[in-house]
Amino acid sequence: MKNKKAQLHMTETIAVIFIFFILVVFGMIFYAQYQKVAFKEKQEEILSTRAVQTTLRALYLSELICSQGEAEPEDNCIDLIKAEAVQAIFQKYLSNYYFHLFGYGRLTLHEVYPQEKELVLYEKRRVENLANESTFMMVSLRDDRLSVGTEPSYAYGYLLVEVYS
Amino acid sequence: MLFPVPEKKGQMEMIGLVIIVILISLGMLFMAQFALKEEPLKKVFARQGLATSALSTLMKTTVQETGCLSETSAQINLRLDRHLLKDCAQYSAEAPQGFSQYHCQGKHSCQFLEELVGKLLAQTLGTWGKQYEFHSTLQLSGGSSRELFSINPGLCEKKERDSSKPYLFPTDAGMVSSELFICS
Repeated sequence: MKNKKAQLHMTETIAVIFIFFILVVFGMIFYAQYQKVAFKEKQEEILSTRAVQTTLRALYLSELICSQGEAEPEDNCIDLIKAEAVQAIFQKYLSNYYFHLFGYGRLTLHEVYPQEKELVLYEKRRVENLANESTFMMVSLRDDRLSVGTEPSYAYGYLLVEVYS
Repeated sequence: MLFPVPEKKGQMEMIGLVIIVILISLGMLFMAQFALKEEPLKKVFARQGLATSALSTLMKTTVQETGCLSETSAQINLRLDRHLLKDCAQYSAEAPQGFSQYHCQGKHSCQFLEELVGKLLAQTLGTWGKQYEFHSTLQLSGGSSRELFSINPGLCEKKERDSSKPYLFPTDAGMVSSELFICS
């Protein structure tokens, strides 16, 4: 009788341990899945932060920003004359300067009004791009060639910044 | 001792109960971590930065349309804020059919502005899948105000939104306040 009770107790203990380990395995699977998602999210976050940093660098780059002598540069404004000339400079000093600023990515200037046109300012691609993050920022496109009197002409456009991982 | 004595059995069950409570608490903490996660930096930057830059860009834009200036008047670069919005504020009481100094495409400046601003925002924010709301209001002396024009009124009212902050422009008729909201 005492033997049977002990056997029953053993079976009960084994069942409890078995269920406990099943729960532990489930927990581990859940945690592994979570880690996988968290890792992907972290990668996306890093890419997003890089997109934001690249956008800000491009917006305040003295090679592009609207300036007038020693006056304060204009926010959210890109000088079209500078932008048209800067492609060649970006290309010339790509590896020893601009790549460190923008990394793998593409900067495109789009004019929406009065005309619709686009201008690729910078482009550096990897052989195989894993992911891509885009940020839009509205900018005025100043063109001093169309000035009337002292009033410059401002077109309505945006800067598209794409960064590649 | 090979078998636990009955008094210890109760204690062991209590320990089991405590372990279950600890496990449930850990699970809830884990879930709370997901629920209270901060809004990503990119999302906040994108909405706030976009609203501010969109409004300042819009206001600075030079309008190039036919019929804005009469043939006899001096040729100037017509700015959306300095010329057209000012004109709209000054002659808003006569909109949409009455007099205004500038008649781009043969329309009153308020009507023309409503169409142009609506088109430009639709071509940019609209195509990027953003929801937005725009208001331009004239603050009259005496505390009252008059809406000059608006785009998608009420769309962002009950949603999580970011504002461009009011763009204020003084005119002879009063202060013109323009604001853009982006929600998504």
